[in-house]
Amino acid sequence: MTEHDDHDLGDRFHALRRDDAAIAPAFHATLAAARTRGGAQPRRGALGFIAAAIVVASVAIAVLVIRRGLPNDLAAVRLKTPTDFLLALPNEDLLRTVPQLGRVTITFDWRTP
Amino acid sequence: MSAEALQLERELDQLHPAAFGWALACCAGDRAAAEDALQASYLKILDGRARFDGRASFRTWLFSVVRYTAAGLRRRATLRRWLPLALLGATPDGRPDPATEVARADGARRLTAALETLPRRQREVLHLVFYQDLTIAEAAEVTGVSVGTARTHYERGKAALRKLLKKEPE
Repeated sequence: MTEHDDHDLGDRFHALRRDDAAIAPAFHATLAAARTRGGAQPRRGALGFIAAAIVVASVAIAVLVIRRGLPNDLAAVRLKTPTDFLLALPNEDLLRTVPQLGRVTITFDWRTP
Repeated sequence: MSAEALQLERELDQLHPAAFGWALACCAGDRAAAEDALQASYLKILDGRARFDGRASFRTWLFSVVRYTAAGLRRRATLRRWLPLALLGATPDGRPDPATEVARADGARRLTAALETLPRRQREVLHLVFYQDLTIAEAAEVTGVSVGTARTHYERGKAALRKLLKKEPE
């Protein structure tokens, strides 16, 4: 039963079907080729396995290389941004030390940055 | 060989020309790729990796197997083009081969050229309905979409194809 309602298109497709039928390989030749192909299947499987192994090894190497570049203790890592210099103050050491009475060791740097 | 296997071969033999036409459509007219897809499909069926469960007609089931297999081979061919695995064999480029083009008459060539410009689903549904004389419901079964979706692809594809063929010189 045909469902299409366009006879012009139907005729065009049927002409294409006749042309394709003329070049179709024989069924038994296709079947024989399929069976030969079945025998050759393990080789393709092995090559597929080799390809998969290469991909897995490449990923593993990439992960190792990336991890090598990372510091061991991530908690000790200080983020250094390109604008850090804006926070640098003259004599900023004074802010981090406790002065001791009687022992004046502080030397001031009066130069402007 | 068992009686069941012989019966299966007989049914495949009967549908072989239609299956080859469908394989050609699934492989964009590339004869080598179509033969490859057909051989792989027959192999799947004969060694039991694809089993007919009787839910659909044998023809729509066979066409589904061919379509699925051709899609797998297409994916593999794409992968081969990206990976340097030349030892895996020649890669079909997904274009009609010159031998098939020569064998087709001028009108058929124009039709396939116009079909190539349509989206894959539309092309598949039009092929199944006009070339294989399937109903839209059967075409939906083969392509794995709902009947409504297949009907939409059919109507849109038909309108686009008519327009494209009208542009061509007669």
